[in-house]
Amino acid sequence: MKDLADHLFDIIENSVNAGADEVIVKIAYTESYFFCFISDNGKGISGQEVLDPFVTSRTTRRVGLGLPLLKRTAEDTGGYLKIKRIDESGGTALQFKMYLTHIDAKPVGDLARTFSDIFFAWPEVTVRLFVIRDGIERLILDFQKLRDEIEQGLKNYTNIRKHIHEVSHKEFKDINII
Amino acid sequence: MKNIEELKMMREKVRQDLRLRSGQHRVRIVVGMGSCGIAAGAREVMNEFVTLVENSKKEDIVVTASGCFGFCAQEPMIHIYVEDQRPVTYRNVDIEAARLIFNEHVLNNKIVEQYLFSKGKK
Ligand SMILES: Nc1ncnc2c1ncn2[C@@H]1O[C@H](COP(=O)(O)OP(=O)(O)OP(=O)(O)O)[C@@H](O)[C@H]1O
Ligand SMILES: [Mg+2]
Repeated sequence: MKDLADHLFDIIENSVNAGADEVIVKIAYTESYFFCFISDNGKGISGQEVLDPFVTSRTTRRVGLGLPLLKRTAEDTGGYLKIKRIDESGGTALQFKMYLTHIDAKPVGDLARTFSDIFFAWPEVTVRLFVIRDGIERLILDFQKLRDEIEQGLKNYTNIRKHIHEVSHKEFKDINII
Repeated sequence: MKNIEELKMMREKVRQDLRLRSGQHRVRIVVGMGSCGIAAGAREVMNEFVTLVENSKKEDIVVTASGCFGFCAQEPMIHIYVEDQRPVTYRNVDIEAARLIFNEHVLNNKIVEQYLFSKGKK
């Protein structure tokens, strides 16, 4: 993965693969760190072992790569990755933190692009993106709302990519440059 | 202000559009999005196809994603399903390959041998 934007897309792909149709993403960042919390309503992960590259539910290749790679990316900067099942009925929550000023930190990359890619790759999945700043959570993207607006004729698929980019570029302008 | 009938019609059109996105289309382009694919540039490839479809103004082509295909060294990989034809899988698809495959295969029904991985059953 070349940057954090790739990791984020990859980790949400896990949620989709686990049958989730709702994914909540919360991001908090400063110039020195990037924190991200993701929860989904998929079938739920089993155990911590998944951070071991030999655990995968895929049938095409024996080794899972996404989580171990993200863990490595986070820990290389002095950060961490934690993941757990939400409860017996399922759902998965994970959080990671990385220090952007660390010499081994990967660039953040184009987060706006990550979200528009998700919208196009899995149009039936609802992502809600919150940004936390000064202890206040703000909802900045809601895919359900976007789909409703398409349905009401206020937006269409051609300008939705532009819309997602504008909204998130504005939000992440401080870190997109890195 | 639009009247109710117009709103209803608009809504129906969008429903159809959404249905088409997941259901029937003349051409379906599926990009593999496992970790290997992503690391190898599958998102850029998917974006290129979305742009190509937009620019072509064709409404019977859809771009979606699937999980990993399992051949990590050959990622990014894509499947192309054209109605009534055998699905075709391409390997090592970069931006340039995406353009070529779109123009040759999707628009003109010609297989691009250079990037061919396999042809599936009907
Ligand atoms: N959000 C999730 N919900 C349920 N299970 C999950 C989730 N994320 C990961 N898992 C489980 O953990 C395993 C390891 O995930 P990881 O991303 O490391 O590899 P993978 O998705 O199997 O393959 P790759 O990422 O290399 O394409 C998965 O196969 C899956 O069983
Ligand atoms: Mg994965």
